[in-house]
Amino acid sequence: MILDLVAILLIAAGLVFFLGAAVGLVRFPDFYTRMHAAGKGDTLSSLLVVLGFALHELRHFDGSADVVVFLKLLAICAFIMLTSPTSTHALMDAGYEDGIEPVLGEDGENALTETRNRRLKD
Amino acid sequence: MKWFGLIATVFTGILLLSAVPDFAAFGDPDSPANGGLGDHPSVSQYYITDTYTDTKVPNIVTAVLADYRGYDTMFETVVIFAAGIAIFAILRSFSGPVAPSHPTAIDTSVEGDHQRIIIGTTCRVIIPVIQLFALYVVAHGHHSPGGGFQGGVILGASFILVALAKDLSAALGRFSEKRYLALGSVGILIYAGFGLLCVALERNFLDYEILHRIMPATDPIMARSHSMLGVEVGVAFTVTAIMFAIYANLSSKGRLEQGF
Repeated sequence: MILDLVAILLIAAGLVFFLGAAVGLVRFPDFYTRMHAAGKGDTLSSLLVVLGFALHELRHFDGSADVVVFLKLLAICAFIMLTSPTSTHALMDAGYEDGIEPVLGEDGENALTETRNRRLKD
Repeated sequence: MKWFGLIATVFTGILLLSAVPDFAAFGDPDSPANGGLGDHPSVSQYYITDTYTDTKVPNIVTAVLADYRGYDTMFETVVIFAAGIAIFAILRSFSGPVAPSHPTAIDTSVEGDHQRIIIGTTCRVIIPVIQLFALYVVAHGHHSPGGGFQGGVILGASFILVALAKDLSAALGRFSEKRYLALGSVGILIYAGFGLLCVALERNFLDYEILHRIMPATDPIMARSHSMLGVEVGVAFTVTAIMFAIYANLSSKGRLEQGF
């Protein structure tokens, strides 16, 4: 019962972060910020969702098969944690080496500060 | 010439689509594939009910693929090998410098290639796990989804990962051109060898049952199971080699040196 509740909470939280990642991927202005949203949001949300699945498998302790699935899901979590940030880093690195310019303001500030200042004036 | 291709494609497409109404409906119990013809039970029914007693393999898909329809799978493997040879024949050029034959370590030192430290370290951790999992997929193909093709692709991808993380010469140092061409042919030889072994023991090609005579401590049923594992290993050899061969040749335009 409690495990079910925790699992549902984890999965729901993961879906919220997935939504954040998707919105960020569409709304952010340049390659680097988009990768930031996709990399961070994707990693955390997949971790949360898979952890939720793992807890869901642990509900009843009578059979050993459930524990095996639980351990497999934990292993998937570990690999997501290892590989997803690394692939984000590799993509960022490749973009930097390729000379993709980040969106910057006139005095080197982030373009988003400009937008925010304009909105404050209005 | 372009127009000829378009006309041929459209014509073939119409021809193929015109045959669609003749198919039985999906899941139709009276179609020959499901219900059989007349008094004869259908072949799919036979696979579902008799595979386990015939071969002691719980994964019916693997049993159909590697045993009942072994010919088909053998020539599928040959098709993959032919694709690799075709890539080799079209792309490989020998004008560049010779690729190194000794492995070079993935550089994780800060002084060396400082951007690579994160990628290099992760790959050193993850590649052995990937390769172990690939072997598991090959060896466990009887009991769970998997088998030679899937495991071979995973194993080939692990070598591609070495090439991506370091460079192509590091991957070629571990899996040189000589080795992958040899391994690709050895895989098919293993598969065909199992078939020829059956012929040598006076049975049909790929009729594994008779192999219990030369396999220690097996009966005819387990001989089928073990022979399936054997041919899956052969398939995995070929797929691994050809996967990496295709990547190496495509990514370097056939020069097998670092090039983007």
